[in-house]
Amino acid sequence: MAVQVKTQTLPLFKKLRQMPKEEQYVPGHRTCAGCGPALQYRLVTKAAGPNTILLGPTGCMYVANASYLCTPYQVPWIHTQITNGGAAASGIEAAYQVMIRKGKYQGELPNVIVMAGDGGSTDIGLQAMSALMYRGHDALFVCYDNESYANTGIQTSPTTPYGGNTTFTPPGKAIPEGKKLFPKDPPQLVIGGHPAVKYVATASVAYPVDLMNKVRKALNVKGPTFLHIHAPCPKGWKFDESKTIEMARLAVETGMWSIYEWEDGEYKYQYRPKEFKPVKEYMKHQKRFAHLTEEHIAKMQAFIDAKVKAPGVPVKIPVPGPRQED
Amino acid sequence: MAKEMTLSGCAAAAQAVKMAKVDVICSFPIRPYTATMMELSKMVANGELDAEFVHGEGEHAQLSVVYGASAAGARTFTGSSGVGVTYAFETYSPISGGRLPVQMMIADRALDPPGDFGSEHTDAMSARDQGWLMGWSENPQEAFDNHLINYRIGEDSRVMLPQFVCQDGYFVSHIPGKVQLPDQAQVDEFLPPYRPGAHVLDPRKPVSHGPQIRPDQGAIMDLQRAEAFLAVPQVIREVVDSFNRIFGRNYDPFLDQFMTEDADMVFFMQGGHAATARHAVRHLRQKGVKVGLVKLRFVRPFPTQEVAELLSKFKAVGVIETSTSYGGSMSGGNLLAEVRASLYDVPKRPLTTSFMAGLGGDVIPLHEFYWMAEVLTKALKAGKVGKNVYWAGFEQAEA
Amino acid sequence: MFNIPKGREVPFGCVTPAPVGEQPMMITGNWREYRPVIDEEKCNLCGNCVVFCPDACWQFNEADDAVVWNAKYCKGCLICVNECSHDALSKAYELDFPDGVVRLEKPF
Repeated sequence: MAVQVKTQTLPLFKKLRQMPKEEQYVPGHRTCAGCGPALQYRLVTKAAGPNTILLGPTGCMYVANASYLCTPYQVPWIHTQITNGGAAASGIEAAYQVMIRKGKYQGELPNVIVMAGDGGSTDIGLQAMSALMYRGHDALFVCYDNESYANTGIQTSPTTPYGGNTTFTPPGKAIPEGKKLFPKDPPQLVIGGHPAVKYVATASVAYPVDLMNKVRKALNVKGPTFLHIHAPCPKGWKFDESKTIEMARLAVETGMWSIYEWEDGEYKYQYRPKEFKPVKEYMKHQKRFAHLTEEHIAKMQAFIDAKVKAPGVPVKIPVPGPRQED
Repeated sequence: MAKEMTLSGCAAAAQAVKMAKVDVICSFPIRPYTATMMELSKMVANGELDAEFVHGEGEHAQLSVVYGASAAGARTFTGSSGVGVTYAFETYSPISGGRLPVQMMIADRALDPPGDFGSEHTDAMSARDQGWLMGWSENPQEAFDNHLINYRIGEDSRVMLPQFVCQDGYFVSHIPGKVQLPDQAQVDEFLPPYRPGAHVLDPRKPVSHGPQIRPDQGAIMDLQRAEAFLAVPQVIREVVDSFNRIFGRNYDPFLDQFMTEDADMVFFMQGGHAATARHAVRHLRQKGVKVGLVKLRFVRPFPTQEVAELLSKFKAVGVIETSTSYGGSMSGGNLLAEVRASLYDVPKRPLTTSFMAGLGGDVIPLHEFYWMAEVLTKALKAGKVGKNVYWAGFEQAEA
Repeated sequence: MFNIPKGREVPFGCVTPAPVGEQPMMITGNWREYRPVIDEEKCNLCGNCVVFCPDACWQFNEADDAVVWNAKYCKGCLICVNECSHDALSKAYELDFPDGVVRLEKPF
């Protein structure tokens, strides 16, 4: 007689003071002071609670957290390759489905959460992420976006902004902007192409209550969900470590980051500015953009102007590819 | 009651996986192992097998899915062939180092270029350093049996290691043979449910699986697996003994012998071409050639002591290499070096040489075995081998 | 069978127990050059410092009428000082304090 698989429902909350008190991501990890990804990790796991299994594809949120022979994860956690967070999560979820069904495990299905960086989500980990979405496993895929392969010393990733100085896109005489390519749009990669996905959202460490509620909403969905979380990186973006939240806020205020939900085909936007500040207001604080000329910044502005018209929805972006004439 | 069926190696493997009551299966199609997954998907769809059948997005994903599932406490099964085996390569060490007793079927296939569908052992053999058990089945009966045997060995708490259960592509995977299928009660007696250790992902007992270690701990990590491998042979002996008892078979744990009693020389090999070798040995014996066959059942762990003890009884050993190791010490395959190393300390060593055969999908025809026997005979007369490696069928002059 | 030098052991399968409450194998309090200091008169318990600390080093106390600072783990990033909504937090040089922790050459 097959046992029915039950899942928990996490309640949403309105005020900061209502957030859960318990930490599932405890003090004692080797992340940089002011690390944006560490903060989102803390908030995601706080919202998820103790009935959770975490997966950590290789990246900052693995290496910096798990050195050496110790981690800050109070819930079960497993390392995966940077390539396969989505696949290993599928295996854990499938195992729990069948173990509960066969009566080998008594309890509610644990939250299964992949904590992948932008590389582990949209680049080297893209295939596994997409397959998880396609197969409909009951799991949450979090892409913490610090806009680079940070753990290996800040190299460009598909979400590094145009003009971002990284150690693989340094500015020079031949390539004055450093990075010529415009970034992928991770939620768009998921939305619309995966029929089993019913909820996709973006969030930011600057809006923690919104972030935590979106985590709970996503976990409450019986199926695959995707969260794209903006997590500024003081080391990689080269700004003072005390300004992490300020950078995250400025990103939203300038349109460099949009906060929204896509639920059953409908878009809902949050924290949408009535008037967007110029992108320069955001870029001037980060030395990764210090080499850019007015011309470059104008290109960024044009890109963002087009994007903010309808975040998450395909629009005609007026930027040339690297093979096209300027 | 046991029943007899005529099954291909692929179908036999599927029957074993079903009777082992596997929890999570991850599929991806590649010739020639795909038929096993097709059989399993039918069993799951019919309700004969209660398992999660996950459609992996590639071979690397297949191994990653069962990595997660095994870490969560499930008994798992996956498989591949050829370049699928090498595509998944990144995952092999994390799985064995994480002490997850995943089982992977490999119906071997020649590696690209260019995509030859024929059998060659190089795909699996290229992973022999990754800390998995590895061995070949000669026919569908052995395939069925070895899948069950490997689950029991791998899941033993003294071992906790993953297993590559290999069979020759096409020759074993597709050519049907008679398989005695036991009844479920016998399998349940032989193979209890998987009891994972404390290293399982369970919210009631949280662990961190795989944090970083310091460089000065890396060697200790390797040593753990080396020590586990030292424990494996004894477990193999116990498990094969138990298997023989419950299922009425007569397997030697490591080395299968055929007409070796008074042999001067033997063929030494692993895998499906041993079936042809048996015929060749009988024919040669009829002609008065004192030849026998020694077949290797596990290449990892390599049964060094057993190989040394047994092969030292003969005057000449012709190692049949069904995989390639370009630039290796023998400039041929993988097995001769292992055989010679095993024999190094034996005071009276046989002459040894190797024959590259059964590569890329080639059969090893009977006349090639006869030719190999001639080479060995000449070597015995001369008191030494002509060379270390012969490419059977392609040598210009006689040996 | 083998002699593993003390301090270099690795647990089975490289699997370690999960921490409870804190991870004492990675104490980070000796990273900071500055520490946050609170003027409790000005604090209105908005909770910004509690929610924005990546290291969970500000927590509400039992009675929920004050916030408590974790000296053992605070890295001195000063996000809390930057985000305090009522100017209750300011930064002070770590070694000005009798219990100030000398920042080591290597953090661990």
